[in-house]
Amino acid sequence: MTLIGSNPRVAAAEQAPARAATRRRSPGQWRAAALFLLPALVLLVALRLLPTAEAVAQSFQRGTQSFTGGRFAGLENYTLLFTDPTFQNVLWVTAVFLVIIVPLQIACALFLAVLLVERFPGVGIVRTLVFIPVAAPAAVATVIWGVAYQPQGPINAVLAAVGLPEQPFLTSADQALLCIIVLLSWIGVGYWTLFLIAGLQDIPRELYEAAALDGAGWWRTLWSVTLPNLRRPLAFVVVANTVSSVLVFVPIQILTQGGPAGSTRLIMYDLYNSSFVLGDLNIGQTEVVILLVFLIAITAVQFRMLSKEK
Amino acid sequence: MALPNQLATTPARTFAVTVLAWIAAVGFALPLLWMLAGSFRTGTDIFANLYPLSWKLFFPSEMTFDNYATLVGGEFGLSVVNSIFVTAATVLVGLLICAMAAFALSILRFRGAAFVFALVVLSFLVPFDAIAVPLANLFRAWNLDNSYVGLILPGLANGFAIFVLRQFFMNIPFELAEAARVDGLGWWGIFWRIYLPLSKPALIGAGFTLFLFQWGAYLWPLMIGTDPSKVLGPIALANLAGQFEVDFGAIFAGAFLLTLVPLVLLLIFQRQFTESLASTGTKG
Repeated sequence: MTLIGSNPRVAAAEQAPARAATRRRSPGQWRAAALFLLPALVLLVALRLLPTAEAVAQSFQRGTQSFTGGRFAGLENYTLLFTDPTFQNVLWVTAVFLVIIVPLQIACALFLAVLLVERFPGVGIVRTLVFIPVAAPAAVATVIWGVAYQPQGPINAVLAAVGLPEQPFLTSADQALLCIIVLLSWIGVGYWTLFLIAGLQDIPRELYEAAALDGAGWWRTLWSVTLPNLRRPLAFVVVANTVSSVLVFVPIQILTQGGPAGSTRLIMYDLYNSSFVLGDLNIGQTEVVILLVFLIAITAVQFRMLSKEK
Repeated sequence: MALPNQLATTPARTFAVTVLAWIAAVGFALPLLWMLAGSFRTGTDIFANLYPLSWKLFFPSEMTFDNYATLVGGEFGLSVVNSIFVTAATVLVGLLICAMAAFALSILRFRGAAFVFALVVLSFLVPFDAIAVPLANLFRAWNLDNSYVGLILPGLANGFAIFVLRQFFMNIPFELAEAARVDGLGWWGIFWRIYLPLSKPALIGAGFTLFLFQWGAYLWPLMIGTDPSKVLGPIALANLAGQFEVDFGAIFAGAFLLTLVPLVLLLIFQRQFTESLASTGTKG
């Protein structure tokens, strides 16, 4: 989430109480603030900082058994992982997955957003229908699409009806990842569309009036007015989509268990597998650290992009 | 005057836009419709009407409620009750905790407020799932696995909810709080009796976020709620799909039950939820 406010209205609202408070700053406010913040801060330490610290510490150890024991092992886990062809495959599959799913979902969301800001009969219903899959839990979407991808299921029936050959879908190493991407896009595209619709509606009408005076056509206006002014929501959606995509776990765990032949072995599934199925806690924690470094890097890029604009 | 960014400028183009948009909408809705129809069919009937393909795919010829009856008595029924309890507790307690933090970070003035805000925001910027595996190990060490507390805790504090509420609180005129102070109301009274009642839209938006997170959670209950008495809905659904002899009718009925609750809430609160999303995505 992008959280540094640059909205002038918010900035003004921030200054008003600040002025009032400087007039009469009292120690009582500090005590009150501590009490109001206490539950959130306790949760923050217990639920975010502690597990992060544990993951980092145990990634430098070997032989940890259910949180105790373990000897310092330096970078042994990292060396083990990065020289392991299975993990190299995990990184490769995750990278391919991200490179396909993020542009695909953003392009679909942008197309839908441009369409759904138009005025046409039933626009409200269409927006709701597009958005509905967001409400379905990931496990529901996974199970339903899992049935749909069955060899004798409805998708193959549609293919047969239009005279195309039937496909193996999830049982094929070439198609499984793509099937997962389609399933996830069904959940995700409507969600990202919402952000882009809000962004489109925020573009001042005067810019389009000026473009009309210049005689710009639709494509020209999209390229020179709409997209540049949609930069912030687009950047947000790209980052948020990348973050949520790299954390994909549910369909892999329920439908493919990383297969066939490792073709859907995304990093979240692999680290879950290392920790709980293979029982190598230290390797699992090392994968957590690698994932965290990636997530922090993405978030940092986002902050830089947004702060540059100011 | 038609602006150059508009597509639906002539009747013909409006028609084209309408058709395209409706195709997309139907595409998103079809899997759910198929699921709903399938939940009233017998397991074998779900794969009927496919060869050759027939519109009956979306309308069961004979309605049966057996699938739902099967679910109610079994593990799945209990898991839905568990899910409802865990999610309700998460939303109520979580809203209180997040609103309190948001109140301190928007209304109260204290040294280091900017630092605490940055700390809260940055910590919760790390998505929960990324640290769920090490946290599950900690929860097992603390004996919190297979307990409601263990299932509820991770959903309580949500950076997104804190942010949405803080934005909203800052737009409430500070004079209200000042006047109440003069009248002798404490900070808790100002929070409880002035800010919360004025913030219903933001509370609904933030509450919906907490709800979706907990209702859809899968990885966490998979690791922490393994005991049959503590299984949550999504896990029970996956268990149904993973059985040796799969009962497709029951799967569809279970999937529909798990979608029904968020769907109803979404249709009621769609405006508040989309507004709270929009306020973070574009104003961020």
